[in-house]
Amino acid sequence: MNGIPYGIYEGFLILLSVLSLLVLVVILTAIKKLGISKEMIVAIAKGGAQLFIIAAILNLLFVYPAWYIPIWAFLGMMVIIGGYTSAKRATEMPDAFKITTPSILTGGALVLTVLAVTRAMPLHPQFIIPLAGMTFGNSMRICSICMERLISEVKQNKAEIETALSLGADSKKAVKNHADTSIRASLIPTLDNLKTLGIIFIPGAMSGLLMGGTTPILAAQYQIIVYLMIVGGGTISTLMATQLAKRKIFNDKEQLREWVYS
Amino acid sequence: MNTVLEINDLKKSLEETSVLKSIDLDVRLGEVMGLLGPSGSGKSTLLRCLNRIIEMDSGAIFYKGKDLKKYPPSELRKEVVLVPQESVMFSGSVFDNVAYGPSIDGDVDREHILNCIRDAGLSTDFEERQAEKLSGGEKRRVALARALALEPEVLLLDEPTSGVDPKKEEEVERSILNFSDKRDLTVIWVTHDLDQAKRVSTRIANLRDGRIRGIYGCDDFDGGEAF
Repeated sequence: MNGIPYGIYEGFLILLSVLSLLVLVVILTAIKKLGISKEMIVAIAKGGAQLFIIAAILNLLFVYPAWYIPIWAFLGMMVIIGGYTSAKRATEMPDAFKITTPSILTGGALVLTVLAVTRAMPLHPQFIIPLAGMTFGNSMRICSICMERLISEVKQNKAEIETALSLGADSKKAVKNHADTSIRASLIPTLDNLKTLGIIFIPGAMSGLLMGGTTPILAAQYQIIVYLMIVGGGTISTLMATQLAKRKIFNDKEQLREWVYS
Repeated sequence: MNTVLEINDLKKSLEETSVLKSIDLDVRLGEVMGLLGPSGSGKSTLLRCLNRIIEMDSGAIFYKGKDLKKYPPSELRKEVVLVPQESVMFSGSVFDNVAYGPSIDGDVDREHILNCIRDAGLSTDFEERQAEKLSGGEKRRVALARALALEPEVLLLDEPTSGVDPKKEEEVERSILNFSDKRDLTVIWVTHDLDQAKRVSTRIANLRDGRIRGIYGCDDFDGGEAF
């Protein structure tokens, strides 16, 4: 068997049939009065519409001979949306967007470059778009956790940070433990996923490749590459984010900025 | 007598409230200047401005005749050391805590650290104890030893006996006065306790409503205007 064994039109009919599952869960949540039926319908409709739009654009891009020009707009949009979304987790820190965006860009770009150079990512939009999506998306998720944790660490431990500063430590030393804690905390979910790979679940990329007809060994190889990419991109993004965040936590006189006290 | 710290018309607001309205004060070399005032009078804020952990809004501070702003903050804080009211311990042993300042420059002399622990009134048996698990009074002493380890010129003590068992208060006072004398330290000692101010100070500055209301020798101050 090679890939999904039916075509687009039949696929739409099957999708409509499976939507009966949505009807069922909406009825169930309404009976249980969970108050999320409407949100569930809106979320599925919105998510589905977004996927169809992106699928239509990808359909055009995959056959467009000069794909290497518009693909930059795609990648740029991923980074900007990622940076913006991640910054929303750090609203207390002024200009967090200027921290998250370059961090996600750097982590993701370095990883994608390695994938391209090692030929793990063939230079074709079919590979570049999904892999870039996974890299930037996961860097965004990890960066968000890191920023959220860093802000809470700094606010909760401002007395300790001030004590370190008042004993002559520079801002880098004063905040080091808290920055390290934030980086560790942001990577733990990904590392836990790595440890349970294949035991509790077969992850997305491998599942997709298996359904697309790739042999299990090759699919497993690729999944490991994807996880290396996620861990690598995430780690680089958090290292950069914590580094850049220091300038937003401290001023040039090695003093905590006012937002930390609010 | 030489002036170590000269404060001219210092003003500082916090959250749009004027805390220090106009501070003028000279602190002399080797003296213990008691800074006496009620809660909220701006005592801690003044110490924090002197250590530059916060920035004054206007005015000038001269340390050893030179504008405080011309010192790199990290270097200044090793000479004008603040011991805040809350004794925050870093994770690790008492030794690690006391050695924190010297370790910044990679200059940890074990004997010096142990001397500081002793001078702060703790037995050296404490060196391996986990600092975060100590009692409030013991933490105060570790915080003092930690400041001493930097070999400061000026020590800024914010209510150094708060949280200390009242029976041991005078013992802590004696430790501080002994090590200040031994090391020729200049001390600014913040307190709201008139008796303590009289016991420990060479001179007493009376701070009220963000202004220095008077500077007195400790024998001629009856505290009548202090609160």
